Amino acid sequence: MNVSIKWLKEYVDFDLSPETLAERLLMLGMEIESIKQLGEGLDQVIVGKIKAVEKHPKADRLVLCTVDVGSGTDAQIVCGAPNAREGLVAPVAVVGAQLPNGLTIKRAKIRGVESQGMLCSEQELAISDEASGLMALPDDLQIGAPLVEAFGLDDVVLALEITPNRPDCLSMIGVAREISVATGNPLRLPEVNLQSGTTDIHELTSVTIDAADLCPRYAARIIRGVKIAPSPAWLQRQLEAVGVGTINNIVDITNYVLMEYGHPLHAFDYHRLTENRIVVRRAKPDETLKTIDEEKRELTPDMLIIADAENPVALAGVMGGFDSEITDRTADVLLESAYFYPPSIRKTSKALGMHTEASHRFERGADPEGVIPALNRATQLIADIAGGEVCSGIIDVYPGKREAINIQLRPERVNFILGTDIVRDDMRDILTRLGFSVSDTFEVTVPTFRPDVTQEIDLVEEIARVYGFDNIPTTLPRGDIPIPKPDPKENLREGVKTYLLQCGMMEAMNYAFYHPAAFDRIRLAPADPLRQAIPIMNPLSEDQSIMRTTLLPSLLANAQRNRNHQINDVQFFEFSKVFLRTEGDEYPNEPERVAGIIAGRLGAGVYGDPLRPGDFFDIKGIVEGLLNRCGLSDYTVAHTDHPAFHPGRRAEIRIEDSTLCVFGEAHPEVLENYDLPHKAYLFELDFERLVAVVEPTKQFEPIPIYPSVNRDLAIVLDVDTPASRPAEIIKSAGGKLVSSLHIFDVYTGEQVPEGKKSLAFAIEYRSAAETLTDEIVDRVHDGILDRLEQQLGATLRS
Amino acid sequence: MQEELKRIEAEGLTELKAVDDLRELESLRIKYFGRRGSLSAVMRGMGKLSKAERPIVGKLANEVRANLTEAFDQAEEALNQRAREQQLEAESVDITLPGRLPQFGKKHPVTQTFDRIQEIFRGMGFQVAEGPEVEHEYYNFDALNTPAEHPARDAHDTFYITDSLLLRTHTSPVQIRYMEQQPPPIRIIVPGRVYRCDSDASHTPMFHQVEGLLVAEQVTFSELKGVLYAFVQQMFGEGTRTRFRPHFFPFTEPSAEVDISCTTCHGEGCRLCSGTGWLEILGAGSVHPNVFRYVNYDPEQVTGFAFGMGVDRIATLKYGIPDLRLMFDNDMRFARQF
Repeated sequence: MNVSIKWLKEYVDFDLSPETLAERLLMLGMEIESIKQLGEGLDQVIVGKIKAVEKHPKADRLVLCTVDVGSGTDAQIVCGAPNAREGLVAPVAVVGAQLPNGLTIKRAKIRGVESQGMLCSEQELAISDEASGLMALPDDLQIGAPLVEAFGLDDVVLALEITPNRPDCLSMIGVAREISVATGNPLRLPEVNLQSGTTDIHELTSVTIDAADLCPRYAARIIRGVKIAPSPAWLQRQLEAVGVGTINNIVDITNYVLMEYGHPLHAFDYHRLTENRIVVRRAKPDETLKTIDEEKRELTPDMLIIADAENPVALAGVMGGFDSEITDRTADVLLESAYFYPPSIRKTSKALGMHTEASHRFERGADPEGVIPALNRATQLIADIAGGEVCSGIIDVYPGKREAINIQLRPERVNFILGTDIVRDDMRDILTRLGFSVSDTFEVTVPTFRPDVTQEIDLVEEIARVYGFDNIPTTLPRGDIPIPKPDPKENLREGVKTYLLQCGMMEAMNYAFYHPAAFDRIRLAPADPLRQAIPIMNPLSEDQSIMRTTLLPSLLANAQRNRNHQINDVQFFEFSKVFLRTEGDEYPNEPERVAGIIAGRLGAGVYGDPLRPGDFFDIKGIVEGLLNRCGLSDYTVAHTDHPAFHPGRRAEIRIEDSTLCVFGEAHPEVLENYDLPHKAYLFELDFERLVAVVEPTKQFEPIPIYPSVNRDLAIVLDVDTPASRPAEIIKSAGGKLVSSLHIFDVYTGEQVPEGKKSLAFAIEYRSAAETLTDEIVDRVHDGILDRLEQQLGATLRS
Repeated sequence: MQEELKRIEAEGLTELKAVDDLRELESLRIKYFGRRGSLSAVMRGMGKLSKAERPIVGKLANEVRANLTEAFDQAEEALNQRAREQQLEAESVDITLPGRLPQFGKKHPVTQTFDRIQEIFRGMGFQVAEGPEVEHEYYNFDALNTPAEHPARDAHDTFYITDSLLLRTHTSPVQIRYMEQQPPPIRIIVPGRVYRCDSDASHTPMFHQVEGLLVAEQVTFSELKGVLYAFVQQMFGEGTRTRFRPHFFPFTEPSAEVDISCTTCHGEGCRLCSGTGWLEILGAGSVHPNVFRYVNYDPEQVTGFAFGMGVDRIATLKYGIPDLRLMFDNDMRFARQF
């Protein structure tokens, strides 16, 4: 909402700088988007009138204008604007002028012809973006006068952001009322004194409301014999100052009153209405209407329209119809002022994608009691400016009149809620200045222009707002603090995060949605349940159109993005919900996952810490370390068939027969799909499952008293035998005496026969009951070797 | 004999001075102290001395042996010392070569900001609550006093999943869910992801909020000011000014937007704050009685306040990040910075 300071001063006196005014309005709840000084840089722009137009001798597109600049000596100006014509009044930048766009006007020869100044468009003067031709000034301006004075550009325009609860402030009078509240200066409303003719409006037309639920009030007046013409300078200037384009005097007047009162009006060409009458009704199926923007609108029966005896002539509260609009030939005007049911207007404007000045106000709630003042004000302006005869009487169909709202205000409640001690007289004063009437017992009557005020709390807000939020004390809450509940999930999440950070992984954050092709890129089978993603009905793009079911594609895409910036070595993890369809439940399931990626090399890449390629055991180590960090040891590492991974380098962690985590090397096709030149390793863990299986506290185990005996054991066995087999045998054969076991070497090659490999174990023996002797250890160690020979055909490596 | 001893002593001390390493020292020690060494030779001659001479010469011999032993020990200590020094010298490294840095990851700046916000509010007795991200229109709008066809819905460019399910546009629906489950008093914060269909330098289709809700028998607007003032002091530094401006949210009344003095220019006016000296960081207000009615609380019995802040925006302010979208690019060069 743009407001002009000059215009506001017609309704309230104030002597504030634009900045101070903006500050005061801001602290009343109106944010300021911009403050624009009109006419800046237009010191040497004057009003000129083109007396003659001749062709430029050397350029087809240019003309020579003889321009009266009020000095007695005409200026010769070369001009390329298509609307340069004899008689046009237009702004002239004289030689020496420096325009807002930085252009300095010099005496110059243009294609060989001297030009003494420049005729300007609105864009060149930074008045608007209009650049298609010269700015056409009203004819009645004084030729030669400075444009700023003549056209009233010595003004400041504030662009206000009006919150949706305050339709009353979508008007000059509404904003002026707030200024009056802020300054204490009285508000002046326009005075209307209508002189009407002899013909009674009821003889000329009628209004029928067939949809009183959507149109509680419809009023009309008729003005006959108007002269359609451009608006006078003051009217054009005021509209242009606040960013409203001018069309003709009648339309401009309806727009002027729209801006002034905040009440949208519509003017019909009386003779274009079939049977010259108005019917307010819902649209019929298959009805259409060509609106004034020349678009054909398909109407539906839930839309409220204004019709004549036969057809729709306006989309109620949104836009008028093309066929009945005011044209140069219009003589008699039927002027509409109505109040429409806000949700209906909003529905219609949304359904048709039409957002207009009118719909913006009606959907927020116009003033049903503002219908007549706005109608009378516009009627008077039409009579004053466009002439014609105002028919006597007014049509005012008002089936939906509501009683004024009365609210019992408890002044002590105001202070209770705000934490203040505002005295009752101040509360009364604030409300009264805002237009409320307050009885001795604080029964408050709400003015009809404040549809947002319906209950006591609304009055509390009004008082707080005007009293000033700054004046409300700053205190700390009293009362009981609820007993905090433990949050083991959050603790575990934080623990896992800390662990992964310690592993050298950066925390990634991705959107919760991606492209459906993500599933193809990680090679999911057509029937894979992970493909059952939840689509968004109105995505911004297909790239963001389905909710994630797995985090792996996002992390691969992160590696790809880094790779595109020449960063090949990437380690990321991400914690996030995924979204899974559920049977029977309306809501999807939103389980949390944690996933990670190692792409490229590890290490710092400096002397002493060279880069080395990551491998399967790096990602496995991260996963196992995570389980260890969570105190989990009772798990198995099993084969998985997850298609995103290399078939020979993938695994899953199983706990209690369900999968907790998958990990492995990305499948070569997946690497190709993400343009990754080096190998990448990923894991994805079901965090909800982790929460379920983790024991909340670890139990202390006694620190061993007796010393251990350490023995190494290197065996040769079939190359296909997984290392877990001998490890299990060692543990079972050694029983409780084997206190720890590590594989420290795996070898194939020279000294080991073809088809065999050597595994070297470091075994730690310890007893909780005694110091082990060599004899005991030898016996157990030999027993282990026997079992390895028997069960795996393993031999001691010599 | 006495002269012989003195000579040995003098000779020994002289020879010792010339010794340069431990091996030479060892052979010299053998020369004097060994079984066939000079001192042993003298001692063997003791038997030939008279009874009167024997104690005198014996005493002198012991003195000479003690003196020489001490001198040898000192020499050995000095040589050891020198050898150690030489070894250390040889072991010295180029201290300007790079250290072997442990590789550690870093939390996302949004997470770091979340952590700090949560820590501050936990200190004021708030606890963390959560809710679904795919939310019902009822919780996201209706129960927050924003019925269908309310123009306030315009401010929320909503992603829809079905006609009634949507991606929550704010964390406020958790207020409703929590109050439906719990009687007052309530002090919660709700960190979470939210969604709006918008994407430019200052908007991303997914972003993060922290919601706060405090409900009890008597909660005043002045306490809302107090809690947020305390938050701002801790989050943005002591002396940061706060400004409460009237605003409109359907689910709070009175409603406010809260500005802080610009973190860059401290109120002078700069590009970051568009010359105003202020930065808007959150929205807040007293809980609207209609919201209490939706959850069957009696607005005559309880009052409360709620607030909500954009975590990503606060993170961009804190770290000076010029484009919100950088947060979700996951560029290693970005991630390493925080």
